[in-house]
Amino acid sequence: MHTTQMKIMKSNWLKMALACLVTMAAMLFTQGALAQPAPKQKIAVIISTLNNPWFVVLGETAKARAVELGYDATIFDSQNDTAKEAANFENVIASGYKAILFNPTDANGSIANVLKAKAAGIPVFCIDREINSTNAATAQMLSDSYSGCVKLGQYFVKTVGKEGEYAELLGIVGDNNTWNRSKGFHSVVDRYPGLKMVAQQSAEFDRAKGLEVMESILQAHPDIKAIFCGNDAMALGAYQALVTAGKADQVKLFGFDGADDAVKLIAEGKMAATGMQFPKTMARQSAEFADAYIKGKRDFPQKVPVLVELVTKDNVDKYGDYGKK
Amino acid sequence: MRAARWLIAVAIAVGLCWRFPLFHAIPLKTAVAEKAAAAFDPAEFAGTFWTNQLLPSLTKAVNSETLLPAIQADAAAAKTNYSRSVGMGGSYFYFLSGTGRVVAVSDDEVSLAINDSSTNKEVALQTGLVFGNALRDGTGLLNVNDYPNSQDFNAISEALNHIVETRVLPQLHNQAKVGAKIYFTGCAEVDDESSDLKPLKVIPIQTEPR
Repeated sequence: MHTTQMKIMKSNWLKMALACLVTMAAMLFTQGALAQPAPKQKIAVIISTLNNPWFVVLGETAKARAVELGYDATIFDSQNDTAKEAANFENVIASGYKAILFNPTDANGSIANVLKAKAAGIPVFCIDREINSTNAATAQMLSDSYSGCVKLGQYFVKTVGKEGEYAELLGIVGDNNTWNRSKGFHSVVDRYPGLKMVAQQSAEFDRAKGLEVMESILQAHPDIKAIFCGNDAMALGAYQALVTAGKADQVKLFGFDGADDAVKLIAEGKMAATGMQFPKTMARQSAEFADAYIKGKRDFPQKVPVLVELVTKDNVDKYGDYGKK
Repeated sequence: MRAARWLIAVAIAVGLCWRFPLFHAIPLKTAVAEKAAAAFDPAEFAGTFWTNQLLPSLTKAVNSETLLPAIQADAAAAKTNYSRSVGMGGSYFYFLSGTGRVVAVSDDEVSLAINDSSTNKEVALQTGLVFGNALRDGTGLLNVNDYPNSQDFNAISEALNHIVETRVLPQLHNQAKVGAKIYFTGCAEVDDESSDLKPLKVIPIQTEPR
């Protein structure tokens, strides 16, 4: 073969080899890029406070269900402060979240935050606590606190009797649940004139404040027969105050939420009753609604009341772990 | 010259404030009256609702001669076919009417047998203090989504219950003699099927002697 021809063939062979290498490298690069999973869409879980185990369960369950459905989920704690809640919303709106599962701090004060998210095209699903608007959130999963406390009120009259002094611990005054619970309870108990409420104070749904407020109430009113608390955290604080005062066996204690510690006290005969909300049911449903929204669904019921069940010594064995066994 | 400029600036500022006031002063009495007018009045609402919507809808109640045998035959199927529920949870409501024979009268109940040949307490008309949401939620005429603040929606229940206690129950007490026949329409809430179906606990909306 002629030397020039051989050089040309060698050069062609080198070019072909180089082209093959480039093609293979490109294929490998492309395959690598294709194999890289797309970043997951994000869902935010904004909770009024994580300083209460009940809300921790609410937030963690919502997050877990969102993760099960294929999302990255993050919990934000508003620490019962509307300013912190507003900052959480700003952060979430700026960070590309696709939906917000929201437990508000204030029925009126939280509306502006929800509207901001709505304006940014982010759907908000309220859990447990209501906002006083029907055109801000996409949907609201709400415990039927009023009906639950009607049942509690009826059981209160049945166990305490139609006469005697009692005290009430209210939750956060800006929250509708506080008043729906109080009004449901009073819609029954106030019909019995012999039952006299001698003290009604807010302990802001907080266990430590429940203890503190109940200590002062017990000093001023040592003869009370019963205490109605707007949530179990306050009831557990009140129970500590009763134990310290040596009155735990004499005063009947009623709470609301269905917290595990309260259910245990009912089983031990140390607490009369609570209203079992279903935080896990509400939290899961909110995550499923968000998933459906992201996938294109738009017609949601604005408010979904969730039944509250009365837990007493007669049926306590059926309840635990923030729901029905 | 400088003073004239200041005067012009002040005049412009005053003019702007007059045209676009920064705040309005309203007499306290007027403000209170406006707030009261804007507030939801559950008693007034319930009275209008009772007359204009509830009473005209009574013909839509399911007949107890249909419902009670259906519950006895298959409670789950009866629930599917004749009940309504609100939101998530196990409780549900029946909106029913029928004629029954009084078989017992107590402080809190008038018990009726629907079947002529029976003496069983099949329906218990509730005649004591009325609590809960059976009337508000049992007919499907009112929707929670129409009320931004659920406290207003809950207040409707109390107002409707008050109407039952003051308008319906006094008549029923007069009609309730053992052996008498009574036509009734009302709502029943079923929370616990083991205790709430036999007898069906009905909050009466209307009763008539037959």
